[in-house]
Amino acid sequence: MEFINAFVVSLQSVWNDSGFAAFTPGNGIMILVGLILLYLAIVKEFEPLLLGPIAFGCVLANLPCTGFFDEMGVMLAIHYGIANEIFPPLIFLGIGAMTDFGPLLARPYTLLLGAAAQIGVFVALAGAMIMGFTVQEAAAIGIIGGADGPTSIYLSIKLAPHLLGAIAVAAYSYMSLVPLIQPPVMMLLTSQKEREIAMEQLRPVTRFERVVFPIVATIFISLLLPSIAALLGCLMLGNLFRESGVMDRLSDTAQNALCNMVTIFLATGTGMTMSAKDFLVPQTLLIIVLGLVAFIGGTAGGLLLGKIMSKVSGGKINPLIGSAGVSAVPMAARVSQMVGMKSKPGNYLLMHAMGPNVAGVIGTAVAAGTMLAMLK
Amino acid sequence: MGHPVTTNPLIIMLINMTVVFIVLVALMYMIKLIHLVDPTKPKEEPAKPVAKLAPAPVPAPAPAPPVEEEGIPSEVVAAIAAAVASCGASGQIRSIRPVNREGWKQSGRMHGIHSV
Repeated sequence: MEFINAFVVSLQSVWNDSGFAAFTPGNGIMILVGLILLYLAIVKEFEPLLLGPIAFGCVLANLPCTGFFDEMGVMLAIHYGIANEIFPPLIFLGIGAMTDFGPLLARPYTLLLGAAAQIGVFVALAGAMIMGFTVQEAAAIGIIGGADGPTSIYLSIKLAPHLLGAIAVAAYSYMSLVPLIQPPVMMLLTSQKEREIAMEQLRPVTRFERVVFPIVATIFISLLLPSIAALLGCLMLGNLFRESGVMDRLSDTAQNALCNMVTIFLATGTGMTMSAKDFLVPQTLLIIVLGLVAFIGGTAGGLLLGKIMSKVSGGKINPLIGSAGVSAVPMAARVSQMVGMKSKPGNYLLMHAMGPNVAGVIGTAVAAGTMLAMLK
Repeated sequence: MGHPVTTNPLIIMLINMTVVFIVLVALMYMIKLIHLVDPTKPKEEPAKPVAKLAPAPVPAPAPAPPVEEEGIPSEVVAAIAAAVASCGASGQIRSIRPVNREGWKQSGRMHGIHSV
């Protein structure tokens, strides 16, 4: 009898300490959300390298009694890297090492398209403020329109850390949906004649230009907006590794091993912020909607300036490259190419769209910097 | 969190877009400056045939000698050059040669033209 009593008490104790006892319906819903995101990543291949770990992090975050954030361990260390803005700049180091600024250097005026596409950020910011978000929260939500995951995470950690999960998920989800979101806007805002414009070949860019640009850009932008010096400095350092021609080993590590490792930490850690109590709030739905508004606004802004530049240049610029101004490298440039080819087979716009595309990365970082300077 | 400068969304939008444009325009001029001072950039092609680019709407630039060698009268060359110039083409006519008059090819071309 004593044995049975001890057995029952032990079983009860195990049950009470288990996650099952503390499991809430909210946890169930969020695990379901995590599983849906996993399905989208693995089966539908929507940005699987990012959405996969984010989704799994979401599942982990909703398992009760894990004590991940109670004492130092691997999960708290990962969270530390996110909460202290360590991972986004490191990701930018890899992105810089992978980015070819050649098309931008060959056509510097495409920087303007990268600037125009930031209008989506501020349209969403205004929308968010009208819906009752504070100005800091609205700025963090608006940056989703920049279509730049690391910058979105960087800004939301600084301005609205409690919204990080929803903002990161919205940013990465829409980035993976660029081929579905952008084409209707592009078709709506451009005429068949404009879409058929074939652009002249880019001039060759010398090694001198490629090496000097990241150095000059870092010094100038970091002096002007010190709050994004870490982000932009890492982007340009990675690019210098690539273009110098004498740091190939560092370039290789930055764009492969390091970038992959930091992606695992950043994405898993972001998923870990999606606990039921933070994510299952009405605000999340609003953030998802506002993110879409920001994305469409940015695409439209780039296209409209592209149309103006097309007119001013006497029809030498295809306005479709304007939509690539919303970062999302290189997906947005591929969409410009896809729509251009659909309108006129043989109209290759990919390299022309890469200029505004990488300009969008710089533009989003600058927009984040100005908002930090104004609102923090 | 400090106090934001303003909470008017329109003002925030205007200020931020202005700053973004100013920074990127400045960066644009820096890129142009880098290109300008680039000591490694390939030199401009020397002795570029200026006459080639000079607007020549008149049939004069048509090089007569090689054409005459092929037995095309200079009046015909002048007429063709005038027709080309009237279509808005610039540059120089380097040669004029008759299309081979091979029966089957000619027939195919005519068929193609008529079927359009």
